[in-house]
Amino acid sequence: MAQSRTHNQIRQKKLKDYRGSNDGRGSIDLPFLILTIIILVMGVIMVLSASYARAYNDPDKTPVFYFLKHAGFAVSGLVLMFMASRLNTRFYRGISIYVLLAAIFLLVLVPFIGIEENGARRWINILGLTTFQPSEAAKLAVIMGFAAMICSFKEKMQTFKYGVLPFAGVLVVIVGLLLLEPHLSASIIIIAIGAIMMFVGGTKIRWFVAVGITVALAGAIIVGKMGYAMDRIQSWRDPFSDLTGNGWQIVQSLYAVGSGGFMGLGLGQGRQKFLYLPEEHNDFIFAVICEELGFVGAVLILILFALLVIRGFWIALHAKNRYSSLLATGISSLLAIQVFLNVAVVTNFIPCTGISLPFFSYGGTALWIQLVEMGMVLSVSREIPVKNSREKLKKSTKELNNVGKEVE
Amino acid sequence: MANSDRRASGRRTNKMILSRTLFLMIVCGVVAFLLLIVQLFSIQILQHDKYEQMAVEQQTRETTVSATRGSIMDRNGNILAQNATAYNIYISPAEIVKYEEDVNLIARELSRILEVSETSVLEKAKDVNSWYKTIKTKVEPDVADEVRELISKHKLLGVRIENDTKRYYPYGSLACHIIGFVGTDGYGLEGIEAKYNEYLEGTDGSIARLAAADGTDILYTNYEDYYDAVDGSDLNLTIDVTVQHIAEKYLEQAIADYDVQDGGCCIVMNVNTGEILAMASYDNYDLNNYLAVSDETQAKIDAMENEEERAEALREAQLAQWRNMAISDTYEPGSVFKIITMAMALEEGTASLGSSYYCPGSMRVLGRTSELNCWKTSGHDTQSLTEAAMHSCNIAFVNIGLGVGAERFYDYIDAFGLFEPTGIDLSGEESSVWWTEDIFYDKNNLSQLAAASFGQTFNITPIQMITAVAAACNGGYLLEPYVVSSITNGDGQSVYSKDRTVVRQVVSEETSKIVSQVLNHVVCDSGGTGKNAYVAGYSIGGKTGTSEKVAQDAAGGAKEYMVSFCGIAPTENPEIAVLVILDNPSNETGIYVSGGVMAAPVVGNIFSEILPYMDIEAEYTEEEAKYIDVTMPKLKGETVADAVIKLEELGLKVTVVGDGTEVTDQLPINNAEVAAGTTVIIYTEGSKETGEVTVPNIHNMTVSEARRELAEVGLYLDTSGASPTNTSVVVSSQSVEAGSTVEYGTVIEATLADNSNLGRY
Repeated sequence: MAQSRTHNQIRQKKLKDYRGSNDGRGSIDLPFLILTIIILVMGVIMVLSASYARAYNDPDKTPVFYFLKHAGFAVSGLVLMFMASRLNTRFYRGISIYVLLAAIFLLVLVPFIGIEENGARRWINILGLTTFQPSEAAKLAVIMGFAAMICSFKEKMQTFKYGVLPFAGVLVVIVGLLLLEPHLSASIIIIAIGAIMMFVGGTKIRWFVAVGITVALAGAIIVGKMGYAMDRIQSWRDPFSDLTGNGWQIVQSLYAVGSGGFMGLGLGQGRQKFLYLPEEHNDFIFAVICEELGFVGAVLILILFALLVIRGFWIALHAKNRYSSLLATGISSLLAIQVFLNVAVVTNFIPCTGISLPFFSYGGTALWIQLVEMGMVLSVSREIPVKNSREKLKKSTKELNNVGKEVE
Repeated sequence: MANSDRRASGRRTNKMILSRTLFLMIVCGVVAFLLLIVQLFSIQILQHDKYEQMAVEQQTRETTVSATRGSIMDRNGNILAQNATAYNIYISPAEIVKYEEDVNLIARELSRILEVSETSVLEKAKDVNSWYKTIKTKVEPDVADEVRELISKHKLLGVRIENDTKRYYPYGSLACHIIGFVGTDGYGLEGIEAKYNEYLEGTDGSIARLAAADGTDILYTNYEDYYDAVDGSDLNLTIDVTVQHIAEKYLEQAIADYDVQDGGCCIVMNVNTGEILAMASYDNYDLNNYLAVSDETQAKIDAMENEEERAEALREAQLAQWRNMAISDTYEPGSVFKIITMAMALEEGTASLGSSYYCPGSMRVLGRTSELNCWKTSGHDTQSLTEAAMHSCNIAFVNIGLGVGAERFYDYIDAFGLFEPTGIDLSGEESSVWWTEDIFYDKNNLSQLAAASFGQTFNITPIQMITAVAAACNGGYLLEPYVVSSITNGDGQSVYSKDRTVVRQVVSEETSKIVSQVLNHVVCDSGGTGKNAYVAGYSIGGKTGTSEKVAQDAAGGAKEYMVSFCGIAPTENPEIAVLVILDNPSNETGIYVSGGVMAAPVVGNIFSEILPYMDIEAEYTEEEAKYIDVTMPKLKGETVADAVIKLEELGLKVTVVGDGTEVTDQLPINNAEVAAGTTVIIYTEGSKETGEVTVPNIHNMTVSEARRELAEVGLYLDTSGASPTNTSVVVSSQSVEAGSTVEYGTVIEATLADNSNLGRY
């Protein structure tokens, strides 16, 4: 009796899976979820290792201060991710434009209520509870907003009026606000993610060429005018030329990365985190990874990221509609851009700029937003329509019959 | 239609989105990561060694563990040089600013405690990026304590104390030229400190450990590399502090008494081992403050107008006072060298005790335009070899030298080690200056040989002279003089030791014996020129020397002399040699400038103290015993009979005053030293007469005259110096000046000298 019931339950469940649930949603994508959790757990562990020394040297903090906070955000972030995965994409599409407007509104607020730190005003305080970077939200907002716009414009995306103008307008406003802070790295990421959305959305390639040339010229002028950016380029080309200034953190990062070697010094055995490496549990946490886990560990983590990105794109390619696809593409691309820029800075592949490493870098609200983004991709994955359902059903029925035989 | 168009367009758009997404997937998911992996490979694998080395260099802190410099001790273990803890005081201007400390207070207080100027501290504090500005180095512990108090009182973080060591010389200036000193970097600069620096300094150790950027230890890593510091070794010298002190005392006294212009030196050597027991040069300086020059010199320098001149003068004065004349300066030994001429002639058989020499006062020498004069131009008439030495007759010694011949003479100079430095283990030994072989061997010009025979026309160092004399007297062995007898490392193991080192045998034991005998006559016989070196009870030998300083003479200035005396004792079996050289005694003191008058008494005085100290027993002749010093015993309370017996046993004559049976008082007081034969008084009733008496002038009186003169006013005489048995010996100085008043019954000490036969011998 009991066996038969079990058998029936399995059959019922499997049938339900392949047909899609009542509201057209399947289960969430397990590979994506598992990759996310693995990376998150590794991130939390590395924050412990990387921040221990600095926290230990801070008389006001326990050695595990950053670790506990980061772990707390990770756990609560997972809850947020789960919640985000339960909402459906129709809802996201519905709120997209408002999210974009809200993000712009927050960015407008920053110059007024922002907290100044190291000469830049990037953070705002939320009810005295925590601090939060509106630029972090703006990245997601651009993805959501642009995806929604692309879906509305459809074929008109190929025109300048629809395919370029509104997007460029939004980007100019947002980047303008970001440069007021100033926040160069966020601007770069927003421009990149905006361009990617437009590219996928169907904007003609020639506009990219035109804008690309314009931006390159403008960028050269801006960079030339902003002294600190020039210094960064100088210290990128030859970090050892300026050991007291900008070169310092790059040199320290290279020491950490280089001394890690093939196998690394071992988890927790890093030395550069002992006040040599600046931002060791933040923007330069990957340097600690390289030092402690070596080339093997660093590549393993990069492969995990790459798999997550590819799986995200896989979900985008299988998404049930264009919005879902664009959302997953945007989020996956954003993840890739952040990881690429962060690791490229740490390894002095590009000039130094402050870009955090998703899931690894210490920072509460940013982690929350990243996990919400993952939740949104999971939501997209949940809605993937079942293809070739008949075939699968056949195959599955066969399997089920076998199961039944085995049981009997 | 429109619908199907739209659908077709939608499909196209979908297709485009699909292909663009696929493109992005490859770029974002594969290409980007491949680029990063390539970059990581380049840094982590290809450049690993480079970065690892740089990182380790940055992460390891090396702390030096300084080795303690070894001590220097005299032959009896008295410490001559030792490291002591000292402290360096520094400020950290960066932290003064960081912790908002009162820089004016710091400057004021440090200025007060460390005796530095307030402005200099403020000036150093201005460099606010610095964490280390030295205010004063090597301060004494008590001064450091004061700074420590200041720090704790005001809770200062910007003022720091660091441990250091300081070289400390307990005896100050004693043996300064032998010991030498250490520069601020801990490297020996002069004397033993320089010569034996490698033994003394040890090897610094180090600790290499991983450190965080702020210098603190890195947690949970146990990387530590430790190299032990090896402490420096301890040096044991042949120098005897007591002998050194005696030598310095009499040298300094002579320099003061004779107003010696250009310093002097004294070497005391064990003739059988080559050990240097004492070596003193003058000017000297305080090892603990080696940069300071004498007040007199400093005053002269201060008087100079030009800053540069002052600096130059100070530098020169410092170099001069650091110069160890005994080994670093050469001089013309004059008649002292006759010992060597005599030894070689005896060895070669060209002279013997039976030889006789006629001195008419001058002689002709082949190749010399003018006649060569003896110091006594009236001549010495006919003399035996011993008499020639006693007279220090130049003519006789020229004949002795000519008898040896230029080539053999030259060979002996070489054999006596006078061409080469002696090899004494001190830095700065100078080389001698001689005629070259071809000039010396000139058959048609014997003037070089003639002059060399009585010690002129060449230059040698004092250490060469005494080493050669030692060889002539010790059985004929040329020894290598030395000052470091052994070196013991930090573990107590001996790492070096030196004993008697014979370079070669120069003359036979027989020759050597004769030389010693002859030298004894020079001092102990009434006709000897070295009488002033006489010490009662000891067989002293020696030779005087007086040489003109040629350069000064040539320049047309007043004649300047170098006076010297080289003595040996005891002459039956020589043990100790003493050489005293005084460079340019003043002509203004009224004392005749010659080695016999000036240097001989110094050597005599030194012998008189060091021979008893070295447990060489005095043996008095009957004649001498009459004049021996005795110490007055305490007689009060004893019976008169006992007291009289006691005093008579001591060789004193007694006058008893009063009719009592018990001694109530005595004259002189107990422990006073008086010459044997003196009449002392014991009182049996009441006490001795009191009151003050005026000291009479006893200068130039014979001993008996002086004793009578003093007795008349109730004073006693005690003598030292030349043998009072010779009638020509007179008082050359008295311990209390004539005309001053002293307590009745005081003992007046008189130095005796025989200056009856003056000459530049």
